[in-house]
Amino acid sequence: MMQRCSDPVVLDMWHPVAATVELAAGVEYQTRLLGEPLSYAMSPQGLPQAWRGTQHQLPVMHAYGVLWTSLGSPPDELFEFDEFHEPDRHNVWAGSVGVHTSAPRAVENFLDMGHFPYVHTGYLGIEPHTEVKDYTVEIVNDGKEVLATGCEFFQPMGALNALGGMLMEYTYRVPHPYCSILYKSSPIDESRRDAIVIFGQAVDEENTRAHLVLSLLDDESNDRQIQAFQQLIFSQDKPILENQHPKRLPLDPAVETPIRSDKTSIAYRRWLSGLGLRYGVLPAVSDGR
Amino acid sequence: MSVTVLSGTKSGWHPIASSSDLVDRHVYQGQLFGYEFAVWRSDDGFVNIWENRCLHRGVRLSVGTNDGAELVCQYHGWRYANRTGGVTYIPAHPADANTHSSCARSYVAVERYGLIWTTLDSETSLADLEVLDVLDDGQAFPLRPIDLWVTSETTISHLERIEIGCPTLADSTKHSDLVLFVQPVDERRCVVRGVLSERPDDEAKIDVLRFYSAELGAVRDGIEKSAGVQAAPEPAAFKVHPAVEVSIGLSSATNRQAAVPVRVRRRWNTATDVVGFELEAVSGQLSTVKPGSHIDLHLPNALVRQYSVVNAPGELDAYTIGVKLDPTSTGGSSTLHGEVVVGDELLVSQPRNGFPLRRDAVHTLLIAGGIGLTPILAMAQALDHQGLPYELHHFVRSQNHIAFADRLEALGTNVTHHLALDPDETVTQLQRLISSYTDAKHLYVCGPAPMLTAARATASANEWPDHAVHFEYFANPTQQDQSSEFEIALARSAVTLPVRPGESILEVLKNAGISMASSCEQGVCGTCGVDLIEGEPDHQDVYLNDTEKRTGKRLMTCVSRAKSSRLVLDL
Amino acid sequence: MIKLYDFELSVNCYKQRLLMSILGVEFESVLVDFFPGSEHKGEEFKKVNPLGHIPVIDDGGFVLRDAHAILIYLAAKYDPTGNWYRTSDPELIGETAQWLLFAEGTTNTASAARLHDSLGYPFDIDECRSGAHKLFRVLEEHLWFREQEGLDWICSGDHPTIADIAIFPDVMLSEEGGVSSQPYPAIRRWTDRVKRIPGFVVMPGIFPAATA
Ligand code: FES
Ligand SMILES: [Fe+2]
Repeated sequence: MMQRCSDPVVLDMWHPVAATVELAAGVEYQTRLLGEPLSYAMSPQGLPQAWRGTQHQLPVMHAYGVLWTSLGSPPDELFEFDEFHEPDRHNVWAGSVGVHTSAPRAVENFLDMGHFPYVHTGYLGIEPHTEVKDYTVEIVNDGKEVLATGCEFFQPMGALNALGGMLMEYTYRVPHPYCSILYKSSPIDESRRDAIVIFGQAVDEENTRAHLVLSLLDDESNDRQIQAFQQLIFSQDKPILENQHPKRLPLDPAVETPIRSDKTSIAYRRWLSGLGLRYGVLPAVSDGR
Repeated sequence: MSVTVLSGTKSGWHPIASSSDLVDRHVYQGQLFGYEFAVWRSDDGFVNIWENRCLHRGVRLSVGTNDGAELVCQYHGWRYANRTGGVTYIPAHPADANTHSSCARSYVAVERYGLIWTTLDSETSLADLEVLDVLDDGQAFPLRPIDLWVTSETTISHLERIEIGCPTLADSTKHSDLVLFVQPVDERRCVVRGVLSERPDDEAKIDVLRFYSAELGAVRDGIEKSAGVQAAPEPAAFKVHPAVEVSIGLSSATNRQAAVPVRVRRRWNTATDVVGFELEAVSGQLSTVKPGSHIDLHLPNALVRQYSVVNAPGELDAYTIGVKLDPTSTGGSSTLHGEVVVGDELLVSQPRNGFPLRRDAVHTLLIAGGIGLTPILAMAQALDHQGLPYELHHFVRSQNHIAFADRLEALGTNVTHHLALDPDETVTQLQRLISSYTDAKHLYVCGPAPMLTAARATASANEWPDHAVHFEYFANPTQQDQSSEFEIALARSAVTLPVRPGESILEVLKNAGISMASSCEQGVCGTCGVDLIEGEPDHQDVYLNDTEKRTGKRLMTCVSRAKSSRLVLDL
Repeated sequence: MIKLYDFELSVNCYKQRLLMSILGVEFESVLVDFFPGSEHKGEEFKKVNPLGHIPVIDDGGFVLRDAHAILIYLAAKYDPTGNWYRTSDPELIGETAQWLLFAEGTTNTASAARLHDSLGYPFDIDECRSGAHKLFRVLEEHLWFREQEGLDWICSGDHPTIADIAIFPDVMLSEEGGVSSQPYPAIRRWTDRVKRIPGFVVMPGIFPAATA
């Protein structure tokens, strides 16, 4: 997978490479992005830097607790994630985890509720409450984002208890081909929602580092638990992701068999097709249009 | 002792496992030329070899579970039937009768010489496998398979040059011949599967196995060393079969309405006035059947009658039905009782499910009257198999009128028979059973009309919501409205076809012999879409977006219908 | 009650939770922010374990570290049947110790590869993976012959031991470190058997088996 990325869509995107809290000032770090090694650092003055080889400076941005860079000419702005800046929230980094799959596979899994009873048994779902009710998916923001609203799923109260539980409501945003934000009602304020974010770093076409960030409303005493919970959830998804084949997301609808509850995933795949994105996916031969 | 080294061609037969690998409901992960398989043996002994990839979202089926009758995918719990690989249940949509005709891609499985054999090419004939006169199936004794981090070509060329010793310890295998099958796993690895032509005495068995394990292990070390291999190679990329219509046996019939020939395998009196029939496929494999389904049976006198299939999950070697003699029979049950005997051939339709079973109930109440037991029994067996809570109440005239008593007995205390109740007593009992409603309970009733009416009245009096009360043929279970009637004109082929209520455009096209690609058949995947030249479509799909629906230039033939009386399609 | 200094995603902590669940021993889990916080390397935790690793147990003041040592202690103390660590049988003690040392090997190869790939630990990944495969080949042959002898477990006898617990998660999660278990069918079948032990619990990344 050492092949260089030649997809202009992906080259010109912003890509997350590290959580900034993890960075000690003045220390140089190495990572891989789109199959290429690169270095990054936070200067003692708090300025992010990223470069290729020894010299070649790359564009950088510090946003949402993450250091972003690009191998092409990225847009001036990153997508909006306003909740991150709300003063009464605190933002927590829940870790950056390597997964042997493509970034789009990781994002698609993040958008999926049907697996809750089977993969997150006792935590996010439990048999026999397996039904995915109809919800709404649209492409919003001038075609720049996929949005799924009114998504409901039964969540058990205690682990492994099928009787006590409640319908949880979720909203999913995909504002970037490799990133997704999930909103879930806050346990302390029903009118507002906690946000759980996956920023996918495409290490190469079939390897991803998932930077997990939480933007929470409740007091900080619970942070550790919530962070641990998010890690647990992601670790349950990991073996599924690593056993999914092909590793690149197939955009041809005939390669896999979607069902009605996969509306978000279908919209996401079609949206990627529409963007002309090719890196980390298996492009559809014809899109049927 | 002679040593023979053998390896098949790309399209030939290869061993991919030992019979002893398929025990205890294990799902074995096999591989051949880079193609991966999930291999599992059901409780009825059948060996399933499937592409190791769930149809839904591509997760390896070998990380799923084998429950003895079905393979369950780990990601979203899709259930795949033994023998057919047909999808029997999709938990995200519990109410769907399941319009899916998809099957896991199956490969032929043959068990011989203690090994499991398959071929990547479904055209390869079984005769090609029967080439070994040195081995006799009854005597053959498989050794421990040895995996190598080098290609099969390298391995074969070494094996042909080396000497393999003979154990001094086992007299019984002194004259045994050794056959070494080399199985190409992927481009970098292979497995050597040794088979002795003679089975050693039981006391010597382990020693013989240890001897060859050590001998072949040393050979392996030598080959790897001379090939300069020190570490396990990275596994090659997962090879995916090109997307084609995946199906086996009878279900491959593009025309799903078509009737297929079956033979009466068994006929017996299962209760007073009730004859049981087991119908096996004349050739190929019967299609997947789900609890609550029925088949149309074409009788010798040209009548067609519908019978519910009693089969339990994974039971697909024959369809079992129960036929009650109707004293007013106009030739249906009387013909079956009077004329049809073991060995007779009949035609049956593909199973259809008008009475689908949800499996997301916290509790399921099943009520059957008389021969109405048949679909209910199939449901009870499915729930029982999955360990879901249910009770079955069977209203029946006497002990002698209980059909399929053996199957009912296996369900234990979940079954209660209510014998010889008069109509009033029946109503009272129903009122007791169908008491208050609590969330996520479901009720299924099948029986004579007065009983259905009483059950229905009781349920509504006790505030059971309609969606929790199920009668056979109660409604179209999918959310699509199939009631409209219209015609389609195929612009390029100058053909006009009628689409009647209950039929989809896709079915009509396929029945007319037009080859159409389709996948989900629920209006979500976009595979079966066609361009529309004229007419007003009634889309009903979720694939096209609102703008596309408004412009009306394309429609999904699996669910879309017409608001106008005619659609002109670009076909 | 026993205190377990615990991290949900650690295989070595899981080994303790698994054994205690099987033995029906109650314990209290003290969460250590192993990742991303590296709390086990902090000054505070060094008071509990100067080596700075988890798991550690505190059983009424008796503090013990090192996963496989803790397994020995828990089995010896809390298994009234004596089956999980049979101190009355010298051969079995020897065998169990041998396989516990083997488990150190699988932890340092297969599980180290997992730490490298998922959490970015600076290990030599090729060495970890090839080391794991070499050990798995040995374990595969061993378990294959056990099956031929009608035996289910790593050590002799008809009952599982702490050696099964010690090796199980390293094998189950090896794919996360890029070590496929596909060439080792006898190992894969043995993991099914471990999953069917009464009292079995999962950890994230491990799914339960179907009943046999
Ligand atoms: S991937 Fe198998 S059920 Fe969804
Ligand atoms: Fe998940």
